[in-house]
Amino acid sequence: MITVENLHKTFASKKGPVKAVDGVSFTAADGQITGLLGPNGAGKTTTMRMLYTLMRPDQGRIVVDGLDPQQQPDPVRRSLGVLPDARGVYKRLTARENIAYFGKLYGMEEAAIAKRADALVDALGMQEFADRRTEGFSQGQRTKTAIARALVHEPKNVILDEPTNGLDVMTTRGLREFLKRLRAEGHCVLFSSHIMQEVAALCDRIVVIAHGKVVAQGTPDELRAQTGESNLEDAFVKAIGTDEGLFA
Amino acid sequence: MNALLTVLKKELTDAFRDRRMVMVAFVVMPLVFPLIFAGLGTLGAKKQTEKLENALELPVIGADNAPNLVAWLEQNNVEIKPAPKDADEAVRSQDSDVVLRIDEEFGSDWRGSKPARVELVYDSSRPLQSGTTIARMRTLLQAYADQMGTMRLVARGVHPSIAKPLRIANRDLATPEAKFDFGQQMIPYLMILLGFIGGMQLAIDSTAGERERQSLEPLLATPASREAILSGKIAATAVFAFLSVFATLISYKLAFTYVVSSRAGGFSMNLPMSSLGQMFVVILPIVLLGAALLTALAAFAKSYREAQSYLPMIMFLPMIPTMYLMVSPVKSQLWMMAIPFLSQNQLILKILRKEAIPMDEWGVSLGAGLLLVAIVWFVAARLYHREQLAVSG
Repeated sequence: MITVENLHKTFASKKGPVKAVDGVSFTAADGQITGLLGPNGAGKTTTMRMLYTLMRPDQGRIVVDGLDPQQQPDPVRRSLGVLPDARGVYKRLTARENIAYFGKLYGMEEAAIAKRADALVDALGMQEFADRRTEGFSQGQRTKTAIARALVHEPKNVILDEPTNGLDVMTTRGLREFLKRLRAEGHCVLFSSHIMQEVAALCDRIVVIAHGKVVAQGTPDELRAQTGESNLEDAFVKAIGTDEGLFA
Repeated sequence: MNALLTVLKKELTDAFRDRRMVMVAFVVMPLVFPLIFAGLGTLGAKKQTEKLENALELPVIGADNAPNLVAWLEQNNVEIKPAPKDADEAVRSQDSDVVLRIDEEFGSDWRGSKPARVELVYDSSRPLQSGTTIARMRTLLQAYADQMGTMRLVARGVHPSIAKPLRIANRDLATPEAKFDFGQQMIPYLMILLGFIGGMQLAIDSTAGERERQSLEPLLATPASREAILSGKIAATAVFAFLSVFATLISYKLAFTYVVSSRAGGFSMNLPMSSLGQMFVVILPIVLLGAALLTALAAFAKSYREAQSYLPMIMFLPMIPTMYLMVSPVKSQLWMMAIPFLSQNQLILKILRKEAIPMDEWGVSLGAGLLLVAIVWFVAARLYHREQLAVSG
């Protein structure tokens, strides 16, 4: 379970300070898929980076399974599986070697890594390319490798930043099924997207972010009720105030 | 520690699968340096031998003024050439290394037992081209003068030794190993330079390259500490550099043993493989320093290209102490052992000369070197903790 309270993060830029995240609060529960929906540049990636300890919030509090990532980064990192916006894989290693490298960095034993890698290769449908070097992989194959790598240590909480970015329809469908499986297994799944349909189809709870602020959140039904729109996509657009940067 | 070893192993696996990196470190570098030095060495030795043994071509002005001297020179392997129009011009334009001008009064001075005047025209600013010839000419003229002086004394019934108040005996204390040649002189520099930058590709690729390929962010999200990740990358760079130095030394030795010595007789190189271990200990701080510095730079730079643009400056560093020594040669002293590059240069020379290295020199050299490594490592670790590190573009 992930709880975020009043997160703030400001970056210095040539034109002056930019408030990337400006008071974001939400909760992502176990056994649920929580979606962060927002146009590009809304602050989704920065919020996630603070969650997985890559960035320090200027203000606010994060609690992951009762722990503060700033105070206890190590156990928090162990409980998180992260697919960052940057999902580069090592092109001179095979997909399986990429997975094993991270397994070792999480302190796992060789045998446990091999067993877990097999399971992930099956679950993500990677059999055909698992033992090939990742150079020349398609976007979908790279993303699957990166997801398997992120989940090798069986994390309780799974954070995915725009996981379906650049994937074809079939791969996207497969990935959605995989996320539903994680939910059924009781994981806390948090993912971000700027694709309204995807969030509508998958999420138990939706957090709508724009300009670094949470503009609406709740279950799909609650969102429809809050905005008075019967169509979820219309509800999103109404909450954000514009459909710029969103994708149907 | 486990994470460090994991990163080290992965980076080396990754690097050894990079054909270009392996080619540069283990084929190009080990071939280029020995070829350049062995080639230059052979050429230099050949030139030297030619200038010493071939007939010395000597344009003479006023050869008629001293027929005996000219005849004596011809007997001593000097080929007399006709006088150039302008002696100064002939030397300046490098047509001749040296021109001999015999004074018109030579005959009368000689007969009057007054010092007869001969003039050597040369340009001392080109010692490599004409130095040997000039020295050879001076020696010949001196020999003629001595010979004639002795004969004059004998003719006057004076024992020639009366004019030789000194008898200079030479006792050279240099060990045979210390009289090393061109090939060996380059070894310290070669080892230091290659040890320092031999892992540059790996260092830049494993930090700046990893960020550019967007795999640094997930790596930094793992529980492995940044210090462990950084140290693993530095260690991989150092191992790679060591292997590159080793490969180059082997190829260097082979080049000098089989190519050079067989062509230019007597020009050989003694690179004792037994002292190799000692030499590797000497350059250990340099290798680690290079690895840490390159990794710090790669973490500091915003892109792969920016990191690469610092390389010329880095390559220049090891040359500074060597150049200082060339300009101002000084006696080896203990404080020098604290100066990186300078200290390693001196110690490798000592090992090659088979001189014993006192414990205090070992201590200062390794201590000062490793202290500097620690400082650079600390800076690199600070850079690795910056939020901007993982975020590319």
